[in-house]
Amino acid sequence: MTFLRQYRDLVSMELRSMRGEVPIIAAVQIGFMVGFVFGFGYLIPGITESTALYIVTGTATQGVVTMGLVMLPQLLAQSKHEGRLDYYLSMPISREAYLLALVTAVGVMALPGIFFCLAVGAWRYDLALELHPLLPVAILLGVGSLAGVGIAMAVYSRHPQLTNALTQLIIFYVLFFAPVLMPREQLPAALRETARFAPPTYAADAIRATSTDLPGTHLGTSLAIMALFALGSIALSALAIRRRG
Amino acid sequence: MSAPPVLALRGVTKRYRNGTLANAGIDLELRPGEIFGLLGPNGAGKTTLVRQVLGLARPTSGTITLDGVDIVADPGFARRNIGFLPQGTFDLQSLTVAETIEFAARLRGIPPRAARAAAARLIERLDLGPFRGTAMRSASGGVRRLAGFAAAIAAPARLLVLDEPTNDVDPLRRVLLWELISELGRGGATILLVTHNLAEAERVIDRLAIMNAGRIVREGTPAALRSIVTERLRLELAAAGTLTPHPALVPDGAGAYLFDAADLPRVAAWVSRLRELGTVLDFRIGPPTLDDIYAAAMAPAAAGRPGPGLAIEGATA
Ligand SMILES: Nc1ncnc2c1ncn2[C@@H]1O[C@H](COP(=O)(O)OP(=O)(O)OP(=O)(O)O)[C@@H](O)[C@H]1O
Ligand SMILES: [Mg+2]
Repeated sequence: MTFLRQYRDLVSMELRSMRGEVPIIAAVQIGFMVGFVFGFGYLIPGITESTALYIVTGTATQGVVTMGLVMLPQLLAQSKHEGRLDYYLSMPISREAYLLALVTAVGVMALPGIFFCLAVGAWRYDLALELHPLLPVAILLGVGSLAGVGIAMAVYSRHPQLTNALTQLIIFYVLFFAPVLMPREQLPAALRETARFAPPTYAADAIRATSTDLPGTHLGTSLAIMALFALGSIALSALAIRRRG
Repeated sequence: MSAPPVLALRGVTKRYRNGTLANAGIDLELRPGEIFGLLGPNGAGKTTLVRQVLGLARPTSGTITLDGVDIVADPGFARRNIGFLPQGTFDLQSLTVAETIEFAARLRGIPPRAARAAAARLIERLDLGPFRGTAMRSASGGVRRLAGFAAAIAAPARLLVLDEPTNDVDPLRRVLLWELISELGRGGATILLVTHNLAEAERVIDRLAIMNAGRIVREGTPAALRSIVTERLRLELAAAGTLTPHPALVPDGAGAYLFDAADLPRVAAWVSRLRELGTVLDFRIGPPTLDDIYAAAMAPAAAGRPGPGLAIEGATA
């Protein structure tokens, strides 16, 4: 029960400590989502329904990537650098509870964006989204796996600059080289292989499986792999912060 | 002779990965209810020592125990029993001053309502009322420091570790902070206090250690340490013109001289005669303060260099 109480307090603490960022995060999320959904429409004339579905669900996934694999690692790297992480670690709290609280706070902030993106996309391309009851689970595990890996990145890199550089690379990778905004078949063989090891692949697949009727999704596999990524990365990060310099 | 120590460090050595030897064989004991001052110049290794006590860094060798429990092996025990104010900016971003204190208490197991009450009481005691709702990231340096201090003491703890609590704090609130520290001390708390503010710390600490280059170079009560440097006194004077100093005086900067404590009667007689003649306008002779002990410990060659404490001042009327 101590774990749950700590987890609850830490989630509340994290949300409050990030509330200053909320307006900026919201503005950026809304801006890039509207930009993507409309922009790709201008870029690709005569867009098919299937392409539109990829763009809309891919953009929603990109939103989770931005929160979990870009913003969170940057904030955490900064916390580590400024000694804030040390303060939390000097408290009698479970490391896992703290890391889960971080993931949860990011998830709470990512959630509105996903639904906003799906709604804007459905309206713009006149799509009939097929919302599956497992959509919340897909989002939950999507956030968990991406934020988990994001935390591990921040915890394991020596300098905040390194974390920041990595997050820039991730943005480009997810945009152009991953089966997130486009079907896997459109990628060359090498990228199809690397995609197997990249958590955004599974987040995109699960979100597509639970919000569209696009063929070729593997919901069960994706959910299972995301759960592994989430648990594995949090366990690895907890290990790293337990090991002292 | 006395109760077992609350905190005991034996042969604690810390060498960082880059090769820096920050602690070189530290032995230290804090007895129950003691306020222990840890002094030393920048880079002496004080924060390194403190971080090992909290389990944030691991000693290269040596042992640390809290109430007899090996806290190198069990840092969780240290965290559950130590209230901690880290050095450096204490900033929990958008959390307000009140929330920072309240959550610190909650994470240490205090129920929400009691935590809120504790925060309110500390805000009152440290005169933080006007900043209660200020976000930590936009609070001034001193307010952040005080909030961090309040967070450290918001829940009862076996040991308090405070790494430079007075930094950036204004003089009036510093008084409030010292009041709280000595109150905690009277209430039986054991406190490890890292500070550069010797003149103020002197009033509350029971014992102190002075560190330099990773080692403890002096340790004892303020009174015992003061006796090390009492052989010499310092005379400061303002003269109306030039004057030939008494043969017992050794110049020590403008208008200041050092002399042997044994020469005090002769020097005092000489200076008060000049004062009556009007050659000396004002003077003071000081006993050593903690600053002097500190200076002596840092530069043994300059031992006995007393500061501005006031034993005899002005005319000997
Ligand atoms: N993480 C680190 N890696 C390498 N060297 C370090 C690290 N932290 C501190 N040091 C070095 O260890 C020595 C002791 O530093 P420490 O911070 O313990 O000093 P301090 O006594 O607390 O100083 P101050 O009064 O300035 O706070 C210094 O030489 C410092 O440069
Ligand atoms: Mg320090």
